[in-house]
Parts: sequence; C-alpha cells; structure tokens
Amino acid sequence: MSLFGDAARSVPRELAAYLDEPPQLATGSPGKNGYLRLGFERRGAKTVLADLDRRAPLLVQQALYWDEAMPGLPCVYMISNAGGVLQGDRNRVEIRLGPDAQAHVTTQSATKIHEMDHNHAVQDQQIVLGEGSYLEYLPEATIPHRHSRYLTRTSIEIAPSATLLYAEILAAGRKHYRDGEIFAYDVFSSLVTAARPGSEPVADRELFTEKFVIEPARQPLAVAGTMGPYHVFGNVLLLTPPEQAAAVAARLPAGRDDSRACIAAASRLPNEAGLVYKVLGMETQPVRAMVRRFWEVARPIVTGCEVPPEFAWR
Amino acid sequence: MTDTAHAPPASVVELLRVLQFGDSVLPVGAFSFSGGLESAVQTGLVHDRETLHQFVRTATRQAATGDGIALVHVHRAACVNDLPTVLAIDRTVFNRKLNEEVRTMTTRMGRKLAELCEHVRPGPLMTGWLAAIRAGDTPGTYPVGQALAFAGLGLGEHDAFAAHQYGVASMLTSAALRLMRLNHLDAQTILFDVSAAAAADHADIHDAALDDMQTFAPEAEIAAAIHLQARVRMFMG
Repeated sequence: MSLFGDAARSVPRELAAYLDEPPQLATGSPGKNGYLRLGFERRGAKTVLADLDRRAPLLVQQALYWDEAMPGLPCVYMISNAGGVLQGDRNRVEIRLGPDAQAHVTTQSATKIHEMDHNHAVQDQQIVLGEGSYLEYLPEATIPHRHSRYLTRTSIEIAPSATLLYAEILAAGRKHYRDGEIFAYDVFSSLVTAARPGSEPVADRELFTEKFVIEPARQPLAVAGTMGPYHVFGNVLLLTPPEQAAAVAARLPAGRDDSRACIAAASRLPNEAGLVYKVLGMETQPVRAMVRRFWEVARPIVTGCEVPPEFAWR
Repeated sequence: MTDTAHAPPASVVELLRVLQFGDSVLPVGAFSFSGGLESAVQTGLVHDRETLHQFVRTATRQAATGDGIALVHVHRAACVNDLPTVLAIDRTVFNRKLNEEVRTMTTRMGRKLAELCEHVRPGPLMTGWLAAIRAGDTPGTYPVGQALAFAGLGLGEHDAFAAHQYGVASMLTSAALRLMRLNHLDAQTILFDVSAAAAADHADIHDAALDDMQTFAPEAEIAAAIHLQARVRMFMG
C-alpha cells in the first residue's frame, strides 16, 4: 500500500467489515448501478441541459425553468425510482458546467439510506465547473436508517472564476420511527475533495479535502465537541472567488440563530477556496432554514439575483 | 575508574527528552490557544466537568484519527531522511484544516517548534523543513514538526504520538482552568482519564494510510469558527 492509500483499493478501511455480498441482487448489478450525467451549456441568456445520460435507479426527466429571479437557470430534480439507497448500490453522478453556464440541482425528496444486513452502498460524485459557471447543488436531507453503511465520495474540479454552492444535511436517522432511531446507523463516510483544473498532479492543484467517518457504535456522537445535544448536521460549501466569499462571510451571523434552535458558523477554506458553513440543530427543518438563509445571502452576491420564495409544498 | 553501574542509561535521557518536548510549557505558543474551548464555554456548549471531559476526549480522538496519522507517516519518512514526502504530508495536513483558526494555530506552533529545535539541537531534516517554511514552500503544520523533532532526537513513533495526544489534552485542560469553574485536581483527573484512550487510538491508526485521515467534530468546529468572529477574546484560538 502506498503512503496515501492503495488507489486500487475500492473501499476505505471503515467499510472493510461490510463487503459480504447481499443475498438479493448482486452488488452493482443492473438496477443497483445508477448513473447520472448532467452537462450544462450556456446558450445566450439561458443555460441548457445539453447532455443527459441516466441509468436506473437514478433518473432525471428534464430541466425546468421555474426560477423567476433567474429565468435562464435550468432546475433539475434528481430522482431515484428505487425509493432510496439499498445495500449493494453503487451509484455515480457526474455534473459538468461549461463556461458561464448556470444550474440548480436538487433531489425530489430526502435520500433514505435503507437498513442493511449485508454489504454497503456507495455514491460517487464528480462535479466539474468551467470558468464563470455557477452551480447550486442543494439536495434534500439524507436519512441513514438503522445499520446502514454508506460511503459518499465527491470530487470537485472548479475554475478560479466559478462558483459552487453545495449543501448536505445529515439527519440522525428515522427519528420518529418505532422507538426512534437516533444515530443507529453503522457507518456514514463522506469525502469531499476540491481542486483547480490543470495538467499538474492533483496534489499540486488541491484546494482542500474534508473526510469524516461517523461510526456511532464505536465513537459516541452525543458528546460535547462532536454533535453535543444536536441531531442534525448541515454542511455547506461555497466555493467562490475570495472577494465574494468575504462579502458573504461579512453578512453571516455566527452563533445561535434567533430561535436558538440551531448553532452555526462560517470559516474561510484553505487556499482561498471559499467558505465552509456548518450548522447543528435538533430537527431537519430549522437546519434546512439556516442553509436556505446562507443561500439567500450567497446568491445575490455571486449572481446579483435573489432566491425566489420557497414553494408552499416543500 | 568509571562507575558504569551508575551511568545513566540512554533511556533516562530519552525519557527526559520526551518530557521536555512533550511539556505543555514548551514555548511553541500552545498557551495562547484554546482549541475552540473559549467560545464553547461562552455559548454554553461546555459548562461543567462532564462536558469538558467530553470536549477534550472529542479533541484527542480527532487528533488521533486526523493529525495523528500524518504524524506517524512523517516520523517514518524522517527516519529515512525523505524530505519530499515530509513536505507532501505537510500540505495534506494543511488542506484538511477547513477551519481558519485551526490553520493559524497549527502553522504558528509548527514554525515555532522548528525554530526552537534549530536553536536547541539542529538537524538536517528540521533545517530543511524550516527553510521550506520560510520560503513559503510548505505550510509548516505542528504535527509534522512534532514528528520531525522526535525522529531527530532518536525518539520513537509511540513517543511522538503520546506527546501529540498529550499536547492537545493539556492545552485544553489548562485553557479550561482560565475559562470556567474548574479546580486543578479535576483538570488533572480529566487529563489522566483521557490519556487512557491513547493506546487504543494508536492501535486504530498505526496502519492507516494518509487518505484515511478523517475528523468529525462539528460542534468544536463551529465553536472555533464563532471564536474567530468574536470581538472580546482571551485566547488567539
């Protein structure tokens, strides 16, 4: 094994205990190897979904233009027709924005990671942003069910003038199911790494890497410094040029929110990559509201356009 | 005639080196940082002995699974005089510090440790690392400095890891004495209890690759980020 880990090693060490084959459909077999490729191109005043490839259980129908503040912004819902993530799933999502393209990508509902008794599930994501492009990637919350084991790896390549707003909300589990599932999953492993485009080795272009592995049975979460008294974790990345990042940071209050339901703060990322904004709260909705507030601050600074009012049904 | 029976064995000197370079008063500036504890106390996230114990333990666990992995790899690289690998690991550590205040702390302490070693006992690898820091070619993070210092003194990986873990815990407990109602004996009890986990932590990480470096401490990270924006503070971090 090399210093950085074996590149051929398909799973990191935290999943080594979860490699047994499911008795159902085999790992990564048809129906368990979802694939989405979304390519956005700028065409005059609007951006179009110029490239779309999809394989069940991941699905995208078409780009919608419902954002009144940004009428040229394609809004895309990522759909799963499997009802969630199952053991043995190996999904991959690729999102590319050409120069000056703009897009909004979200999910139709929360991502449920179902209970597992064999193997694990993986979602790999690759996001490539060309010069001057702008992507809002704001999926609904992820809910890891009892004994689920989930690995998500996101690789971002972003041009210096581009902006990515990326938010993840991780719930504690099916909090109100039966006696309540709070931190009852086996493993939640998340890796996000960002780099500038270029031909040099990626280590020379790297902006930052964030890896966290949560194994509630091995390390308690309900302790000061980790989750404290909170159940829901929101993690927002705003990768944007430094002047814009500074303007956003200046408008974000740090500490408890007005209702004292959440605690949140932003910090500048290494290598002038932008901001990271972390939120903790008891329930998903207040955390989601904080993420939305961040979005409402960031979008006008980056694009000059406001965030439209929330749909009444969301 | 020499009295070899009373000559100090090498291990005594080694132990003294570990005590000196693992000491919480080693002048690398640890006393001016609180690791986010100052705002954790101000916001009430840490408010008594038990929550302090949890906060310190969270920090030492993160120190083991994050910087601790880098530390053992730097120690191994230093033992074979491999400066390019040391510099690559230094960059890896820095790029995984998403919090600005934590980056300030680790690079300030790393550089001070390099300068201290340069003064007390210069060695070629530490000199090369310090030159790269001064040239702006490498960030100069503290766990890299600690591993280079310990390897340079001929001390083992375990010693470096122990000093690293102790440094995190003692920084927090001594900051706590200045930040909250806590008596010295309780602070020592916390330090003692938290240290008991170090062997298991080392067993967890000693065969990990650099890509396995990971941390999960959102509450402590939020506390550190709040701290950077606070107007009145006793600690730099």
